[in-house]
Amino acid sequence: MNAEQGNMTEAAQESVAVAKPEKEWVGFSLQRVGTIAENTFIEAVRQKVYNILIIFALVVIASASFFSQFTFGEQLKFIKDFCLGALSVFGMLIAIVGTALMLPNEVEKRTIYTILAKPVRRFEFLLGKYMGSALLILVSLVLMTAMFGAALVFKEHRLVSDAVQQAGSVPGVDAQHELQQQIQFIRADAYNPDLVKAVLLIFVKLALLSAITLLVSTLSTSMIFNVTVALMIMIAGHLVGTAREMWSGSALARWFLAILPDLGSFNIADDIILGNAIPWAHVGKVVLYGLVYLTCVVAAAHFIFSDREI
Amino acid sequence: MRRTRLLAALVLIVPALLMMPLASRIHSENVRLKYGTTHVTREMRERIGQGMAIALLAGFRGVVADFLWIQNNDYWMRKEWLRLYTGIELVTTLQPLSTLFWDTGAWHMAWNVGYAVTVDPANRTIAEGIKREREWWDKARDFLQRGIENTPNCPDLYFSMGLLYLEKYKDPCKAQEYFHKAVNAKGAPINMNIRMDAVGRLEARAMENCGDIMGAYRRWKQMWYVDHDQVDQLWSVVEREIRRLEDLLNVPDQQRVFPKEQSKPAATS
Amino acid sequence: MDAIRTEHLTKKYKLGWRRGRLLALDKLDLRVREGEVYGLLGPNGSGKSTTLKLILDLVAPTDGAAWIFDVPCEKVVSRLHVGFLPENPDFYRYLTGAETLEFYGRLCGMSGAPLKKRTDELLELVGLPQARDRRLAGYSKGMLQRIGLAQALIHDPKLLLLDEPTAGVDPIGSKDIRNLILRLKKMGKTVLLSSHLLAQVQDVCDRIGVLNLGKMILEGHVEQLISDQRRLSITVQDLPEAGCAKVEEAVRAAGGKLVSVEHPQTTLEALFLEALSKDERGAGEHD
Repeated sequence: MNAEQGNMTEAAQESVAVAKPEKEWVGFSLQRVGTIAENTFIEAVRQKVYNILIIFALVVIASASFFSQFTFGEQLKFIKDFCLGALSVFGMLIAIVGTALMLPNEVEKRTIYTILAKPVRRFEFLLGKYMGSALLILVSLVLMTAMFGAALVFKEHRLVSDAVQQAGSVPGVDAQHELQQQIQFIRADAYNPDLVKAVLLIFVKLALLSAITLLVSTLSTSMIFNVTVALMIMIAGHLVGTAREMWSGSALARWFLAILPDLGSFNIADDIILGNAIPWAHVGKVVLYGLVYLTCVVAAAHFIFSDREI
Repeated sequence: MRRTRLLAALVLIVPALLMMPLASRIHSENVRLKYGTTHVTREMRERIGQGMAIALLAGFRGVVADFLWIQNNDYWMRKEWLRLYTGIELVTTLQPLSTLFWDTGAWHMAWNVGYAVTVDPANRTIAEGIKREREWWDKARDFLQRGIENTPNCPDLYFSMGLLYLEKYKDPCKAQEYFHKAVNAKGAPINMNIRMDAVGRLEARAMENCGDIMGAYRRWKQMWYVDHDQVDQLWSVVEREIRRLEDLLNVPDQQRVFPKEQSKPAATS
Repeated sequence: MDAIRTEHLTKKYKLGWRRGRLLALDKLDLRVREGEVYGLLGPNGSGKSTTLKLILDLVAPTDGAAWIFDVPCEKVVSRLHVGFLPENPDFYRYLTGAETLEFYGRLCGMSGAPLKKRTDELLELVGLPQARDRRLAGYSKGMLQRIGLAQALIHDPKLLLLDEPTAGVDPIGSKDIRNLILRLKKMGKTVLLSSHLLAQVQDVCDRIGVLNLGKMILEGHVEQLISDQRRLSITVQDLPEAGCAKVEEAVRAAGGKLVSVEHPQTTLEALFLEALSKDERGAGEHD
């Protein structure tokens, strides 16, 4: 009986063994996306992408040091205009060039083979690359905004001490009172919290430009082509606002213009520097527009990349 | 492969079209805020050069305006008045919401250029100099008027216009009109050197010089009857002016702000 | 179970404007059994790399299908048990050796202490422990090849795909790689390697298949294919000259034919390796 039992047990074991191969499954993994994103970021940093920020620093220093022959209001306007302008330009450079390089580099160096040969979905790879780029842009903006902020602080201190010096030559309580008012004005002008809204919109614009460049790079592996097309779309995007007014009649034109990204609406820096109050509701609408557009562009890139031959 | 390309195109086009109402709301808000999205005309392009035109298109209007403004400073140093004038016009066309540019521009025209052309040795007669000066005042006045239309809430430009009428045209009545608008403007002044209490005082004095002494008196009283702790004001000056006008107008004692008798406001006259 | 199975696998590449199509692989039927080392041979352009790419879903087939351990290769999960070493591998130059392995490990779902341990093990296995903290930009070709092998093994896959694993590697490194492949085979892993260095393939592969212009023209066990069943090689030692004639007579008497008498040759590779190791030993003694 024992032998029989033994046999049955063996048979039972065998049937279990045969039934065993469970279905393995590989789900969408944030760890994989994060790994690729982090790696993209580190590669860019170690390739000294951030050297470009040294030039930005020079612009900041220049705009804060020169122009002392102008009035206080003019000096602060110059700093804000030039620094935010440079922030936008260098940000666009990092966004477009940094992203344009990503896929072509991977294909050329064949690192993409080793990655996609692992159980990595193509979408995870693409998203990881994009997130890495967005992280790169974010950190660049934070650094540049910090430098810009430092310039404003420096200028504000300088102007205040200039004002104190000027008031020092005129005695009297009245002069002191006027000095206090002046200092208040300088501080309010220099530390306008709405400037944060301007930087936020610049970030969304850059993220959008990066997504567009990513889409272009899924269609072609030539870096020059990618950068050129992305630049052209960027310029076209800035003209959408003007074009809308000129062609307000034709419905077809309006539809065509709706498809292009309206990049001009992200430029509120000018208005904030002029002292206009831009409500958060408006900023929110523009951010929403940007995020939806960006998602669509990344989705389109995914569709194209999903069956791209490597 | 063709299916994925079609999907890609669809995901780009359809949501964008669905977002049209949002996009157009954003656009109209932008137009309202920017109040004058400038079309880059050919003359403008020629004037500012290729590089800056591209910068304009890329959305760096403030930077381009600042560059031109710095250029204007050079023209001012080199006394190239006409270049300065067109330069100022160009900058305000680019940034019509900039009170700074309108204000300083008008100041350059009326005060700086205006003075310079009177002492210009090229003038054949004194009359010619005065005539030229007057032309620049008129330029400044028209310029300021356009500025006011573009920035209706800013006290700065009303104030500058008032000063223009007061100090150049010597027209206290018109000056008073503009000082009044400045005091009642909805926004706060951009220029930190403007003290709104001083504008009030200028308004009252201009009224008086215009001939409306009663109005001036009422204005001074208006300035007096506010919370002295909350409002910035040279109270001693206000008191002095009220007393003076009360004497001038022979206001009955019980209606005075500062009765001659220090006792309670009695019904004696 | 077959580690790899393809049925009618075909790939035609489009050549652009009106230049027609290039037939890279023509109805390939391939079966690689679990636990064997299979060599895919052929000249350049014969379709070896294309086959590997099709199995890994890096390109899509024009016709036919492929399975890895019975899982269709379009599915991501099919690559759970595959490690791939591409031809002339290159990696992110700015990562160190250890960082590279950890990167790939995390892509396979590994993390933390087990990943670190595995990284250390693999660096030892491929002989790169001293270069673990050096950036890949400073690696030689042989080192890149080794780190490539290490990343292919990071998640302990059952199947390895190696594209030209010894191309451009010096004889010592090449021997190491071949030894490693044999070790992996002992561990029960399956290896599909493609190469056109025939002598090296002969040492490690159980079966080979020869591709030419996209078609399989020869396939079979190495032993059977290369040995000439009709001839026998008998090696003798210390036989005097006269003995040769006697041997020839004996062969003829038994009904055979003496084909050739010559000194057996070693291979150039064995000679080279022996000379090097002798030299190293000699140098060691002198120290």
